Amino acid sequence: MEPRPLRKRANRQQHDNEEGLEVRLTKRAKALGLGVVALGAAVALAACGGGNGIEGGGGSEAVQTVKYQPPPQGDLTISNWPLYIDKNTVSNFDKATGVNTKYIEDVNDNQEFFAKMQPLLSKGQSGGRSIIVVTDWMAEKMHDLGYVQDLDKAGIPNVEANLRDNLQHPTFDPDRKYSVPWQSGMTGLIVNTKLAPNVHSINDLFDPQYKGKVEMLTELRDTVPLVMKADGIDPNKATEQQWLDTIDKLKSAVASGQIRRFTGNDYTRDMANGDVAAIIGWSGDAVQLQADNPDIEFRMPTEGCILWSDNMEIPVGAPNPTAAEAFMNYVYDPKNQATIAAYNSYVTPVDGVQEVFKTTNPDLVNDPLIFPTDQFTAKCSNQPNLTGQEEQTVTRAFEGVLNS
Amino acid sequence: MEAATATLPKRRESAGSRAWKWFKHNAIVIYGGLAIAYMLVPIVLIVVFSFNDPAGKFNFTWQGFTLDHWAHPFEISELTDALLLSLRLALLATVISTALGTMIALALVRYDFFGRRASNYLIVVPTATPEVVLGASLLSMFLIYGLSLGFTTLLIAHVMFCISFVVIVVRSRLIGFDRSLEEAAQDLGADPFTTFRKITLPLIWPGIIAGAMLAFALSIDDFVVSNFTAGTEVTFPLYIFGAAQRGIPVQVYIIATMLFSVTLLAMIFTVLQQRRADKLASVRPEQEV
Amino acid sequence: MRDQRLVNLRRRLIPYFLLGPGILWLILFFVVPMYFMGRLSLDTGIFPEFRFNWQFSNYTDALSAYDTQFFRAFRYSAIATIIGLLIAYPLAYAIAFRGGKWKNAMLLAVIAPFFTTYLIRTLAWETILSDNGFVVNTLQSVGLISEDGRVLATSGAVIAGLTYNFLPFMILPIYASLERLDTSLVEAAKDLYSSSRQAFLRVTLPLSMPGVVAGTLLTFIPATGDYINAQFLGGAQQAMIGNVIQSLYLKQTDYPAAAAISFTLMAAMLLIVFIYIRIAGSEALMGEEVEERT
Repeated sequence: MEPRPLRKRANRQQHDNEEGLEVRLTKRAKALGLGVVALGAAVALAACGGGNGIEGGGGSEAVQTVKYQPPPQGDLTISNWPLYIDKNTVSNFDKATGVNTKYIEDVNDNQEFFAKMQPLLSKGQSGGRSIIVVTDWMAEKMHDLGYVQDLDKAGIPNVEANLRDNLQHPTFDPDRKYSVPWQSGMTGLIVNTKLAPNVHSINDLFDPQYKGKVEMLTELRDTVPLVMKADGIDPNKATEQQWLDTIDKLKSAVASGQIRRFTGNDYTRDMANGDVAAIIGWSGDAVQLQADNPDIEFRMPTEGCILWSDNMEIPVGAPNPTAAEAFMNYVYDPKNQATIAAYNSYVTPVDGVQEVFKTTNPDLVNDPLIFPTDQFTAKCSNQPNLTGQEEQTVTRAFEGVLNS
Repeated sequence: MEAATATLPKRRESAGSRAWKWFKHNAIVIYGGLAIAYMLVPIVLIVVFSFNDPAGKFNFTWQGFTLDHWAHPFEISELTDALLLSLRLALLATVISTALGTMIALALVRYDFFGRRASNYLIVVPTATPEVVLGASLLSMFLIYGLSLGFTTLLIAHVMFCISFVVIVVRSRLIGFDRSLEEAAQDLGADPFTTFRKITLPLIWPGIIAGAMLAFALSIDDFVVSNFTAGTEVTFPLYIFGAAQRGIPVQVYIIATMLFSVTLLAMIFTVLQQRRADKLASVRPEQEV
Repeated sequence: MRDQRLVNLRRRLIPYFLLGPGILWLILFFVVPMYFMGRLSLDTGIFPEFRFNWQFSNYTDALSAYDTQFFRAFRYSAIATIIGLLIAYPLAYAIAFRGGKWKNAMLLAVIAPFFTTYLIRTLAWETILSDNGFVVNTLQSVGLISEDGRVLATSGAVIAGLTYNFLPFMILPIYASLERLDTSLVEAAKDLYSSSRQAFLRVTLPLSMPGVVAGTLLTFIPATGDYINAQFLGGAQQAMIGNVIQSLYLKQTDYPAAAAISFTLMAAMLLIVFIYIRIAGSEALMGEEVEERT
């Protein structure tokens, strides 16, 4: 190609630049005007946001109640904590009822689950879930916000019949209107008997010989009450100041390097690896860890443990409450409950499982972790709760320690 | 390549000083090799652990070799669902962000217009923002509006952070582009659209592909922004985050190994394509910086 | 004449059409959310009811409560960036100038780890660095750490994780910059009797600065806001500001405080980036160059 076409192009470019100045100025003015309009639109858009969201102010309406409409059918989605159910129960339930169940283990932490679900629940939706399982205090919180439905007792006769006595009238739900215990549990000590044979009390976790080999839970209502008990305070009667003082004690333990870190279920990794010697943990996990390391065991602290339950609830907007109640009913049949209890080694809330174990799992009949005697849990306290401003203050202080 | 120097009379070098010379000359290559080895260490672990046979529920300690899990890599439905979601999301996000990003790159490189500087800044600022702030701000907006978090919000977020990277990649490709080919085509009577379609696009295609691959990788690997905007949806990284707390099944390692191999193969393929394209395009007149 | 003006008008509008959709997306989903985050940061109240209240005390509260984590994040990130640079630059140099036909293979080896998920890589490090693992045992026998010392749950582990995870971001821009280098300039320097080292310091290094600037920014910025490495590799005392933000948003649902800290972090980052670019020169990074050729 000859240079001529290129020069022509160069000329045109030059031509544009000269003529362009004038056009550009008016263009600039136009663009500026457009910009102002756009900005104004954005601001207007922004200003009228907030109708349904968190700034709109939540008003709670009347509590919804489930209408049990047998026969159970269709799809069912359940949200539960991990490692809480054996492999066969769900498919057996599906076979028995014809329901198509999807069981997801996406509850790793009460607060995180709540933060995730809240935007949906506040609009009356549950993201497809018909059962969610949360700990007592979160069950209470969700109920108070109007996020869960009251149950239709007609659909859960097994629960009425078989729920253990000491779980029938908890303070947060005296008539079990909206919650049905999935499993109960004990928060106490999990120790590696080789590395920490002499740890029997929560206060032993502050012993300098275990510096850096100790972990505690991120769950505020498990860790702090246990430490309080070791100092002689009743967690259900503690004042806000006592909570904050105990949190300070934890803060010093972190600063000195005594506590390696705070964990959720992931303490299992550190225990299995032998990176830690003794931790605050949940009773059922200890048994499941023994498969990886037989030296690991659950120890009831000398001052007692914390008792809690994880509860099944039906959230607002649940697509299939009938199937949900059918599932609750199914797992309250002692035969079905027995397989679950044998798998996860937590405290079963259902009467009659011991009888079943006599034939199926005779070695578990007197397992104190599944059937704790009153004597075993004599010193234990129920998990306390905090609400309102106290909750925010204490939570903030505790999270400050977790993220020191 | 060697600069001409006056030749000195050759002396007998000792083996020691010859070795030292060799070392000095190759030190950087050795260093590079070590660095690459360092980068591959965790990958080796992941591949190895995908063959692990743990007794319990946790995959923390090596307990035995087995191919069983490789026979059933998609056994865990939650994991497979999460993976499929991530793939779908990444695919959509890649297509959208590559299209938008390429257009922006074309505009920025070839035209001078009012707002060019501002647009430049706007493109770069998201890459200068920590992911945690990107996710948090989107969440703030969604919360105030009371929008449901889910696939849509995930897609919005992913496209948002991918656009900037696509622009940067395509732009660098466009800057080195020889316009005379286009001008030749236009002088032969082609209108702008045909020129674009037949000349420009095929030649910048490798750059667009590179941008798309980067967007895909960013999207499929994203954790932080997804954590804030996924709501109750679970992407593959989010699944791993949850699983990390309770015990990661062997299948996760298997899938990670698969992802690694597939993308490795894809990159090899692209590189070979690139070589071919470069050979074809070498009819171009010589570039001058 | 009118036709010409029409063509000109169309030509002037083309960039806006090309630019429009993408920029619109960025404005709607990047700029506007920043506004909302700013607004949220000035709310008061306890979850779930927040009201807008010009509550600037959210900022002072947040800064005083979390200054440790802020500075720790900057510190870790800076160290990780420097170490990353020390690892990446020679590697990029080796690939660019000594790679030969292995260049692309080496690049693949560098980028491929990037394609296993970020979390899995970090978890793999957690296993590798465990107290009774190979690495720790070796370090103990060599004497670098004490008998009952550990690597996990220390700042060293977090920094190592940050360095590792962002290496590709450091290597690629530097490589791109070095690869584009005209080696005849280096030869010219040598012809003028400079030593290899001088040639490097005076020719290669300055010419690769755009890549270095890009790489360091692409490392420092995400590393500062990171929380994964701190969560898995760190202990209770290694929390970074990202951990705080995550906790406030996704655990405590204390959105005003969360928004205030996020906003502060972003403002700090923009300031740092702005100053850094001023000092280091911005043309190549910002793509200010319009095509000179006609």
